[in-house]
Amino acid sequence: MRLTYTSEVEAFRAEFSAWLDANLPDPASTTVRPRSSGDIPAWAREYQRRMFDDGWLVPGYPPEFGGRNASLYEQAVYWEELGRRRVTQSFNPQGLGIVSASIITFGTEEQKHRWAVPIMRAERTAALGMSEPGAGSDLAGLSTRAVLDGDRFIVNGQKVWTSGAHHADVLLAFVRTDPDVPKHKGISALIIETDTPGLERRPFQDITARQPDFNEVFFDDVEVPAENLVGELNDGWRVCTGSLAHEREMLWILWSQGLDQMLDAMLSQLNDGAGAGAADDPVVLDGLGSSIMDSWSLRLLGQRQLARSQRGLHVADQSLLKLLGSEAQQKLALLMLESLGPAALDRTVPPGAQSPYESDRSALSWADRYWFTFAGTISGGTSEIHRNIIAERVLGQPRG
Amino acid sequence: MEFEFTEDQLELQRAVRDILDAEAPPELARAVADGQKDAADFWQTLVGLEWPAMALPEEADGLGYGWVELAIVLEESGRHAAPGPFMSTVTQFAPLIAEAAGPGQAAELLAPVAAGQTTGTIAVDEGAGTWDPAEVSATGRRSGDDLVLEGTKHYVLDGATADEIAVAVRIEGELRVVLVPGSSVQAVEGIPVDPGVRHATITLDGVRVPAVRLLGDGDASDAIRRALEESVTAVAAVTLGACQRIFDIINAYAKERIQFGVPIGSFQAVKHKLANMYRDIERARVLVYYAALTLAEDHPDRTLAASMAKAAAGEAQRRCVQDGLQLAGGIGYTWEHDLHLFLRRAKVGELHFGSASQHRRKVARLALQSSAA
Ligand SMILES: Cc1cc2nc3c(=O)[nH]c(=O)nc-3n(C[C@H](O)[C@H](O)[C@H](O)COP(=O)(O)OP(=O)(O)OC[C@H]3O[C@@H](n4cnc5c(N)ncnc54)[C@H](O)[C@@H]3O)c2cc1C
Ligand SMILES: Cc1cc2nc3c(=O)[nH]c(=O)nc-3n(C[C@H](O)[C@H](O)[C@H](O)COP(=O)(O)OP(=O)(O)OC[C@H]3O[C@@H](n4cnc5c(N)ncnc54)[C@H](O)[C@@H]3O)c2cc1C
Repeated sequence: MRLTYTSEVEAFRAEFSAWLDANLPDPASTTVRPRSSGDIPAWAREYQRRMFDDGWLVPGYPPEFGGRNASLYEQAVYWEELGRRRVTQSFNPQGLGIVSASIITFGTEEQKHRWAVPIMRAERTAALGMSEPGAGSDLAGLSTRAVLDGDRFIVNGQKVWTSGAHHADVLLAFVRTDPDVPKHKGISALIIETDTPGLERRPFQDITARQPDFNEVFFDDVEVPAENLVGELNDGWRVCTGSLAHEREMLWILWSQGLDQMLDAMLSQLNDGAGAGAADDPVVLDGLGSSIMDSWSLRLLGQRQLARSQRGLHVADQSLLKLLGSEAQQKLALLMLESLGPAALDRTVPPGAQSPYESDRSALSWADRYWFTFAGTISGGTSEIHRNIIAERVLGQPRG
Repeated sequence: MEFEFTEDQLELQRAVRDILDAEAPPELARAVADGQKDAADFWQTLVGLEWPAMALPEEADGLGYGWVELAIVLEESGRHAAPGPFMSTVTQFAPLIAEAAGPGQAAELLAPVAAGQTTGTIAVDEGAGTWDPAEVSATGRRSGDDLVLEGTKHYVLDGATADEIAVAVRIEGELRVVLVPGSSVQAVEGIPVDPGVRHATITLDGVRVPAVRLLGDGDASDAIRRALEESVTAVAAVTLGACQRIFDIINAYAKERIQFGVPIGSFQAVKHKLANMYRDIERARVLVYYAALTLAEDHPDRTLAASMAKAAAGEAQRRCVQDGLQLAGGIGYTWEHDLHLFLRRAKVGELHFGSASQHRRKVARLALQSSAA
């Protein structure tokens, strides 16, 4: 056990840090803001492309796909540097983190170059079509139907919650291709262009009442070329769980950074006298101490997971990290909200809360911040589902 | 950053666990709880295995193990609810001697500890339950070549049985540490929550010791604080081990106990409690070993880390004691079942050396200070 990274890893950090110094866009050029998680403004597209071309977009990938075959620890310091500078990796996170990652893992060479690379180079954006009105936690119960008809699929049905779909160029959609087998065995993954006739997107607002990010997506006899099938026919569940694994593998770093940003804001606001001297209230201090411990333990558990995967050991703590990270954010937001009391009634965002290189979601009043933490405890598997997963797959309890 | 045990550390963990499985089975904790046995034989076994010497410096004939290794031993000791003076001697007395005495004096005083000839403890708190050296009001007054002490010390671990007690007193305006033979004080034990962890109130009034028993020079407030960071981390590690044992018992029981025709572990109300216990234990585990690491490296985060470890272990015990006992149903509410041996060890961990809440508030104050800086 030790507390520092090796000099090789530190050299990697220094190299990335120098690259960022030289390549981060001028803040003055960032005034055009993303409208949703499917929209990347021109300045950010240009910047993301440069990251890809210089091998800094997904450092663990080979150079062909925007990386440099970085080790796990190098990837970790990469995220630390982005977090420290409050730079987002992509304004189309599900496009880069899930859709292109799934195509890189499960797609053909042709699909990788045709779909994944343009998404990574921010030439196109992507949304993730998993959930449906009747299939949320029980994702495998999805019913959007795709029928293979010669060299195309005919798709009918509906997705919902599809973040950023109204600005996205493509969807990775999970569809039922065989209704007569057990539910996990009849699912396939399709790439669907959003301008295909018969596909309709209806954006709607979330609870924080900002620009809409959610969409309902309706499919009415939508024709999709058979070559857009990712993975084997009826093997979509593997793609689906694989894509969620992508989402979860290093996700703890983002939970940890999000929590630390909230914590830093809370500490400085309390020091400035927020909540009429809440910093002297033992109840507030008690809660704050627990949140600080959440932050440290999340980082340490993440580091432990890294050390274990580096040694080739089975890592089983993704659900634990997701649960801890998302609920820790919620606990802290609630603490600050209630510590502020009447001062939290005004939803005006405090000045200076925004980093130009981050999604505007980081600039929120504490009330909206609290609502927003539910995006964390509901999406990507609800907290209840992750508790089930921990009990069954980590602790070995029987399925109920 | 490699935040995982090395192969050697894993080997140590296995060895320690095997030894304690054999030497400190639940029957030992039970015999101590029933008053049929004291911890003396077990202590002699540990002395034979050179455990008292483990974490002591080589100058004092110790084996010079690091703090992470010590934490591994302490966690296992909690996991076995092991009785005896290991905690007081190795994690309270020895660190305070090392911090408060000069190097030569420390080596001389610790050599008999390493050899297992002397047990020791510390007497700091006077009833506030904070272990804050600033709150010490006991005094020492010079009288010829002697010191005469006045005051009462509370919650002294093994205070009725330790050979030597390192006592914090004020002498001529300075906080000092004086070594007092256990036999020279009046010690009163209450009825312990965990019969394997015994505290005493000791009365110093009129106790006279030679002035050469004064440790080091100058004010010892920082020495006491630093030593207590070790003691607090040790309590956290033991508490963590006790929580792990409670969890292991209940997680296994939930797979075996059939009600309504199925194992109770298939009920979601049970599953979610187990998942929460696991989460709180793992959270405490990384914070305990982080604190051990900062002690091993004398890292500036050690003050913060020790409090985080203690508070996290406190949160874990709260959950594990509460839900562990609840999930055992009626059988856990009996004296015959082993569960209570570990419930007691875990709960005692919360009750001494500062509550979780006290340590959380300290963590918050430290973070507010460094944020303002
Ligand atoms: C901000 C946000 C962004 C999203 N973005 C996308 C996206 O881009 N693409 C996409 O496909 N989806 C997206 N989703 C949808 C998300 O994946 C679902 O909301 C999630 O899977 C939960 O499904 P549900 O909303 O239907 O809730 P339900 O599954 O109906 O759950 C309702 C409640 O029941 C509980 N519950 C359900 N099953 C169990 C069980 N077995 N045991 C115990 N409790 C249970 C849940 O925990 C929850 O509390 C997004 C959601 C949010 C909030
Ligand atoms: C102080 C005391 C006095 C008692 N006196 C008497 C007496 O005089 N006469 C008498 O007949 N009995 C008596 N009992 C027994 C008492 O009624 C049982 O202990 C109680 O019904 C629980 O059963 P159990 O102990 O077998 O636990 P279990 O039923 O095995 O339960 C173990 C755990 O599993 C949980 N669990 C079980 N089923 C479910 C489920 N479907 N969903 C979610 N969780 C579940 C329980 O809540 C518990 O946490 C006494 C018990 C105590 C503690």
